[in-house]
Amino acid sequence: MIPFLAVVKKELGSVLRDRTILIAILLQLFIASFSSGLLLGMLSLYDADTILRTSGSRIRIGIVGSADDPFGTFLVERGLTVIPFGTLTQAEWAFYEGTISAIVDTPEAANSITEIKLYLPDSNTRSSLIRTAIQEPLKEYENYLRLQQGIKIHYTDLQGEPSTSFEFVYSVLLPILMFFPAFVAGSLSIDSLTEEFENNTVQTLLAAPLTVNGMVSAKIGSVLILSFLQCGVWLVLLKLNGIAIQNTGWIFLLAFIISGITSTSAALAAVLLKDRERSQFIYALMLLAGVAIGNLLNLSPIITLSRLAVGDHFTSGWNVVLFAIFLIGLYLLLRKVSRQIVV
Amino acid sequence: MNQILIIAWREVTRLRKRFGGTSPFAALSLLVVLGLSAFALRNTISLGSGLYQIGVTGNVSPIHDSRFTVIQVDAEQGKMLLNEHSIDVLIVDMQVFSRDDNKSQYAIHALKQYMEEEELARIRNTYPESQAFPLRVGINYLPASRAQGQNEAPTRPEETIIPSLTPPPLPFAQVLVAMLYILPITFISIFFTSSFMDEKINRRLTVLLSAPVTPFQIVLGKMLLYAVFALSAIVLIAVLTRGNVLLIIAIFLPTVLFLFAIYLMVPLFYRTFKDTTFIAMLVTTLTTAYLVAPAMFTDVNDISHISPLTLAVKMYRNESFGWREYLFPSLPMSAIFGFAMFAGTRLLNEEFLMGYKPITRKIADAIYLLMARIKPYLSVPLWSLLVIPIVYMAQIVFLAFASNLPLGMIVGITLMASALIEETAKSVGIVVLADHGVVKSDREILGLSFLSAFGFFVGEKLLVLLSINLVSEASISSVLFGQGLSLLMPLIAHFLFTTIVTLLKTKAKLLYMAALMVGTLAHFLYNWYLLGGLR
Repeated sequence: MIPFLAVVKKELGSVLRDRTILIAILLQLFIASFSSGLLLGMLSLYDADTILRTSGSRIRIGIVGSADDPFGTFLVERGLTVIPFGTLTQAEWAFYEGTISAIVDTPEAANSITEIKLYLPDSNTRSSLIRTAIQEPLKEYENYLRLQQGIKIHYTDLQGEPSTSFEFVYSVLLPILMFFPAFVAGSLSIDSLTEEFENNTVQTLLAAPLTVNGMVSAKIGSVLILSFLQCGVWLVLLKLNGIAIQNTGWIFLLAFIISGITSTSAALAAVLLKDRERSQFIYALMLLAGVAIGNLLNLSPIITLSRLAVGDHFTSGWNVVLFAIFLIGLYLLLRKVSRQIVV
Repeated sequence: MNQILIIAWREVTRLRKRFGGTSPFAALSLLVVLGLSAFALRNTISLGSGLYQIGVTGNVSPIHDSRFTVIQVDAEQGKMLLNEHSIDVLIVDMQVFSRDDNKSQYAIHALKQYMEEEELARIRNTYPESQAFPLRVGINYLPASRAQGQNEAPTRPEETIIPSLTPPPLPFAQVLVAMLYILPITFISIFFTSSFMDEKINRRLTVLLSAPVTPFQIVLGKMLLYAVFALSAIVLIAVLTRGNVLLIIAIFLPTVLFLFAIYLMVPLFYRTFKDTTFIAMLVTTLTTAYLVAPAMFTDVNDISHISPLTLAVKMYRNESFGWREYLFPSLPMSAIFGFAMFAGTRLLNEEFLMGYKPITRKIADAIYLLMARIKPYLSVPLWSLLVIPIVYMAQIVFLAFASNLPLGMIVGITLMASALIEETAKSVGIVVLADHGVVKSDREILGLSFLSAFGFFVGEKLLVLLSINLVSEASISSVLFGQGLSLLMPLIAHFLFTTIVTLLKTKAKLLYMAALMVGTLAHFLYNWYLLGGLR
């Protein structure tokens, strides 16, 4: 046991001394803040609900045409300000004076196809904002016209709350933060193993009272400690930020088990290939394939994690146990392979 | 040229030796696995995968969307499950039931998005087009003011759309296609990095350096093979996605050079294998963010022009762009490539590569090697001028970090951090030269501080000019000549702060970190004053 601990201590010491692990931690912070910043940017520019909520009443739209046309009503119901005009020329004057930001010219009479004209400012930023804001009323108007011709669209009364933020936090942000340490752990275990092989120091290390399996396990153990700490910190930080997470214990365990799976399979690649270049390459491919196969078998750790976090009724600790069984199998395979190969 | 080709051929043999032992069967099964993964991931990975549980009963067409898990229930049982929060939504025939809590409402919103598309597909298949899509919208664009509007013809021809089939302009799809180009380049440049690491571990680099080839030829020769790989991947993607091949090469060549330049730095600075992993991760994330994020705002915000991906997005949308839009992202990238090649040839020597030192010491050594062979009065201002793109990138990254903080602190912390980054950039060259005894007297240090501030100042103004130039031509003159005297103030300020740092470090023998802090604080207070914080 003592040599085992000595290797763990040496590994952790070298990681702390190099200080480059700081890069990985800062990186996770960067990814998290950058992607949420990006999301906010996208939401404020692209999401109609968000635009309407923040600046809906400030978008003033001039309407030319008959008063009984329902399109104006649809616009008002969405929270936009509508100003009626008698003729297009009057509306254009108001547009150039800056009282309205866009003009809609509705038709007098319609045959089977109704055509309306939309006049937008010649600036990309403003015109795409207005187009996003009036997209929903346009669709409602289209449905209204369809109904006039006897075509009924179902499920039009659904409303709900804008769900993008919710989906982003639980299906992107949380999995990134919980599984990024696992991704790093795999790479690190390849690094620390192949470094011994390529620098020919593995024989020296084995001269100590330490078996091959003890050495490999100690290297995996030390990277697992690092990912254990990172996952814990992220969970605490997310909770401090007011993000509600259910089943915290199971989530923590799942993240830890996935770290175990990535670092064990990475170590498998490293003992088989014995050089960094090929091992990292194969490891990257294995990750890709693993995610894909998990998805095909309906066993994705990402989805399991999201479901645990939102408190899904049909997901429990048993789903985590499945991954644990896989990890145990993988570890036994590694022990078998490394005993035969590394001499 | 001959030497470069010889080194490139050496790379081919190296790769053959490394991957040659792999049996064709293993390679084939790998390809199959990759193809399968791409196929499996194509539809299943989406925002919100697996988040919602839906109970369904009666006549409802099957729901295929990775966000929903569908359970068949009967109406009574469904209501019970809904009430005890086991499912989020219950659909009975055409009726949808939900609860008032957030999760159920989110699910309703997601369901609405899905159902809208399904219903559109349904009526498109059942009714003739004129009945299914009875609305046409003609979009016209009006110029900003009347005066222009009366003289000119309409700026763009009318564009007619069908609302439910034409969503507002979102570049997502094209950005994804453009991202396809980045992936293989990143992958290939990792092999490029490994090639240098190999030479370093096997000590063959020593032999190579003693051969009659220059470091420049070595770097170029090694790069050649991988550049050919990267370009062929680009051409392949362009052909597969029916892009304009020549235009795509023109767009992505600077990007390839830029990525190779950055990956050239990785093997030069690493000490252990773990360093390589961390540095490579950093590089991959930052460059992807730098390239992809701005392109999301194509045609929405002028910021998007920073990234060459924007040009590719425009190409896929059949929009045109001019020389200026092409040069704006391409020139800085090519410049960074040039800078990295220069750095690479200077740093490629055994002493620098093999020593194990703290990373800060290693960076200081690198800066010294870059500056040592030119006279200080040239190298110092040049350094300050050339690091400007890096300084600005660092400041943008920092802004992303600061956005997590409470609103009141964002401005203060960002100002402080950007002052620190700027002061470091301006003073580090002089400090390194002084450490090696190249500059000694007070006069030299004062003079160099001024030159460094001057170089930085010129670069800063050039950057402002370039970005304004793209947005509107009219405002250039006001920036250049309008402000007159007030241009002098920032130059003096830059000079003052740089002098504080360099003199404190070299003459008062303060720790560099402490000297930096003093200079940063002064710089911060100056900026704070300009923003009206002290008044």
